[in-house]
Amino acid sequence: MSQRLNVFQVAPAAIEALLKTQAYVNESGLEHSLLELVKMRASQINACAYCLHMHSMDARKAGESEARLYLLDAWRESDLYTPRERAALGWTEALTRLSEGAPSDEAFAELRAHFSEKECVDLSMSIAAINAWNRLNAGFRSRHPADRPRKTEAAA
Amino acid sequence: MSKRLNPYTTAPDMMKPMIALEAAVKDSGLEYSLIELVKMRASQINGCAYCLHMHSADARKAGESEARLYLLSAWRESELYTPRERAALAWTEALTLLPQTHAPDADYEEALRHFSGEEMVKLSLLIGTINVWNRIAVGFRSHHPNDRAPRIEAA
Repeated sequence: MSQRLNVFQVAPAAIEALLKTQAYVNESGLEHSLLELVKMRASQINACAYCLHMHSMDARKAGESEARLYLLDAWRESDLYTPRERAALGWTEALTRLSEGAPSDEAFAELRAHFSEKECVDLSMSIAAINAWNRLNAGFRSRHPADRPRKTEAAA
Repeated sequence: MSKRLNPYTTAPDMMKPMIALEAAVKDSGLEYSLIELVKMRASQINGCAYCLHMHSADARKAGESEARLYLLSAWRESELYTPRERAALAWTEALTLLPQTHAPDADYEEALRHFSGEEMVKLSLLIGTINVWNRIAVGFRSHHPNDRAPRIEAA
């Protein structure tokens, strides 16, 4: 499972463009805690270990609880998320799983109930950006820092 | 999202053999850390908040790292898991997503490289058991303990 290529070295200008988009989203005024949940959920769906590693650390550093990260796959079945966060997570899943069906009117109505039109665009841009990062990192097998050696528990 | 019914009070006699099965699986001799990873992965796929809450707490208490739980959805793309764990996680996905996977030979053969035949039975029963719990907990909307109120950050 070695890295296929280093996108930062191979095409720095391309990454620079995506970083600019990311910088816009970061400064958009959307809550940092919300943006991290959105990034984690998209990265779970896209199975991007690199992004899950980065954003779980960022979220924890910013004060996010362990429980809200562990339960994120099942946010629909938990009370740990606010109605605004639930609307954003529903929209995140809709835009990340586009190939499975067009985002429903219900999902958008729920989004608009909690976000202004500008926030809807900013949030969608954030979802698009993390999906782009997921695709670059998963596609080229970027390796996350191995912050813990593998467990070597003896097999029976 | 209100609770639908409590299976333990509604049909206690049906839950007893399930609890006995859970105990048998837990004491099967498979490594505890592996058991918890399998339970977490199946519960992620099934979207079971109740089981994710319980097993993340159990795993952490037993010394599991935060990172190995956060990256679990993407275990294929990470080096945080041993070959034996990877084989078990692949088999977990194969049996949990049965309608899509049909339990492919490749996953079975890889699992047999890391588990004895007897362990394969234990592992498969473990996967079956957590899938039952997921279905009970999600189906009846069991509430996990609310160890933290939702954050209400101003927009």
